[in-house]
Amino acid sequence: MPITILQPSLAPPAKLRDADSDSDSEGGADLEGDIAMGRPAKRARTQDSSIMTPGEIITDDPQWMRGHGTYVIPGASSNTILSSVAGTLAKTNKLLSVRPLRARYTPEIGDLVVGRIVEVQAKRWRVDVGGTLLAQLPLSAINLPGGIQRRRTETDELQIRTFFSEGELLVAEVQQLYNDGAAVLHTRSLKYGKLRNGVFMSVTGTGGGGGVVRARRQAFTLDISGTDEVSGSEKIDVLLGVNGYIWISKHIEGEGAAAETSGPGITRIEESVGLNVYSSQNDIIPVDTMREIARVRGVVTALVENGLRVDEEMVTKGYAEAVEMAKEERDSADTLWLGGERGKRLANALVGR
Amino acid sequence: MSSTSQHLLLSPAELAYLHGSLSLITPGPIRPDGRSPTQFRPLTAETGILPGTNGSARICFADGTEAVVGVKAEVEKTPVPPYEFVASTEGRKGHSSAPKKSSRKSKKTTTEDEEISMDVDEDDEEAAGVNEKARVSPDWVELSVEIPGLRDDDSGTVFLTSMLTEALLADGEFVKKLWINRRFHWKLYLDIILISPPLSYPLPLLSLTTHLALLATRLPRLKSEADEDPMFDDDWAAATFLYPRQDTTSAKASNKSPKQPSAAAAAAPASRPPITLLVMAVGDNIIFDPSKEELAVADSAVAVSVAEGPSSETEPESESIPATSTKRNLHLLSVRTIDPPSRLTPPGVPNSVNAAAWGTMTAATPTTTTAATAPANESGAAKHPDARVTETEDVVGVWKAPRGGAKFGMLGAMVAKVLERGGVAEEVLDGLEGVDLT
Repeated sequence: MPITILQPSLAPPAKLRDADSDSDSEGGADLEGDIAMGRPAKRARTQDSSIMTPGEIITDDPQWMRGHGTYVIPGASSNTILSSVAGTLAKTNKLLSVRPLRARYTPEIGDLVVGRIVEVQAKRWRVDVGGTLLAQLPLSAINLPGGIQRRRTETDELQIRTFFSEGELLVAEVQQLYNDGAAVLHTRSLKYGKLRNGVFMSVTGTGGGGGVVRARRQAFTLDISGTDEVSGSEKIDVLLGVNGYIWISKHIEGEGAAAETSGPGITRIEESVGLNVYSSQNDIIPVDTMREIARVRGVVTALVENGLRVDEEMVTKGYAEAVEMAKEERDSADTLWLGGERGKRLANALVGR
Repeated sequence: MSSTSQHLLLSPAELAYLHGSLSLITPGPIRPDGRSPTQFRPLTAETGILPGTNGSARICFADGTEAVVGVKAEVEKTPVPPYEFVASTEGRKGHSSAPKKSSRKSKKTTTEDEEISMDVDEDDEEAAGVNEKARVSPDWVELSVEIPGLRDDDSGTVFLTSMLTEALLADGEFVKKLWINRRFHWKLYLDIILISPPLSYPLPLLSLTTHLALLATRLPRLKSEADEDPMFDDDWAAATFLYPRQDTTSAKASNKSPKQPSAAAAAAPASRPPITLLVMAVGDNIIFDPSKEELAVADSAVAVSVAEGPSSETEPESESIPATSTKRNLHLLSVRTIDPPSRLTPPGVPNSVNAAAWGTMTAATPTTTTAATAPANESGAAKHPDARVTETEDVVGVWKAPRGGAKFGMLGAMVAKVLERGGVAEEVLDGLEGVDLT
């Protein structure tokens, strides 16, 4: 069955939103309570599921304060608050804010991000991390090869492209933020560095449930299900960049961001820097591992398509579920494909619907 | 030939991985999104979305790319050279020599627009007025493609336009449908608009949407007769489809049964607008509907245009593989090679020559070609004797942009895979037929 053609699904019936009628008589924080107040037929609830569009008037009641994702028309005497993004309305006491459906990444210090080099300059790289501005990675913020902690030299500057060149992917940590929101990255740990042996994918979405969320662990290792052979020892590293860039790769002992404990400590860094840190040559990857990498990628896609958050728990559970699903329908050929209906089934199984 | 898309940045390690997983032979290619090699991305399709057009369609791929096509028709006067007018009114066969000659030519090269214009098989048809139908022109169809972020005269857009136009005009059947009478014809404007940014090479999407829009296209019913000024029925409900269909309710059933409904469908057996499919090859694997990442590692990519014609028609091209299916009579219209973006990708650096990756080499030992000479200690690898070898030869796990064009055998295999009975083209046509036309 090479092609699936679906009927367009009908948009949910437009709800008449009457935000103005959030009358001050309610007073409390729970405006959604909607207990038989006045003209109930006309009052539509301001549900969290309804989507505000940019420029839409949220309210003109002066009791509300405006939060993120909103604006007021300057100079106008009215207290009209308008939405500046497309997203869902959130209310915290008297603070109105709109959580965008999709937003660019806002860096914070300490975030683990996956980035792609887009520009090489004399002493630094410019890295695409999915934010509004390119992040920068100074030459002084990487581990230079050579085994010892040393100053960067002119030779290093001259061969800056041998460390990272355009298009290459790296995992790094946000070290510093500028006032304009631009991030400075560093890779001064064995956890960080160039990425290889895997696939990249990017998911967007911060509001509405989907997307990568900040969690305790952004990088983890999955045991793959050796379906038939002795591939039980193979593992997969999953790297969920906070910026929504995701790297799924073959696990190599002592390497990679998930090997936080197995790698040498920072004190012994000089012993191993330069092993394969700047290599762009892939190792030999078993077919089973490749297949499972594709499955994990499918799981993440299914999570995003169905508006679920992407974190360690969901990915691990989702992967186990996907393996189960594949086992059940062993006879059909396309057990790897997790789009459309199968993705929906997977998501339903995950949230227990 | 044009590059398929603006440059997509991928790291050499990613490219090597993708190429490796797509060229696997034993379990077949493992696509990054888990699809089978012939599987398309699921799509959402609807027709009749633009009330001001004669026919329109919208298709949305699951990855978010979306296209809208509107077909508009207007009546246009056919310029009649005076001597031809006299000739054709006096003797019906007056000018038949000229088109006959050019139709011969067009059998060899269907890709040239001008030659197609006269491509008509007069022997097949016997009714009067056929000779006038011969005077069709590819100018009757005007097609415009709009891709956001690209200029109209961008080479990519122009290439897409010409490929879609070529598929429409290649067999000359399409323009014949636009003939009203000797003095008038329909002029068809096809506006193809990609709404989303081009996340993947939009050719299959645009082609499928155009196909659907043409299927949904209706022209007002003609009330006038012969060569009068055309008069049309005001009733839109009475308008006729450009591609007349067999009984829509039992389309599937009548396809299988040999007997056809005796009405209009019998006169014109189900012919369908062309579809253009994007096929790519990685190693020995043939992959349909590639995503952007997949196309970035393609060894070769080909756009294959296929149309379904009346079953009696002979194969117009010599190299085409006739699909002798009782179900659908597919014939090949054109094959265009597409320059895959993989040629522009930067090569990876093997560890043996990577100055920044020295140290003990672990799993990444060079291939058999270099294994004999590869020493265990690679320090000072820049001066290594393998350095030259790795520049020219393939090293496992290191990306290298493909060189050379598509191999003949592979081209043939790709076309055969499209046309084979029960193959992709048939499935796609079946799928598109199931779309509700409104």
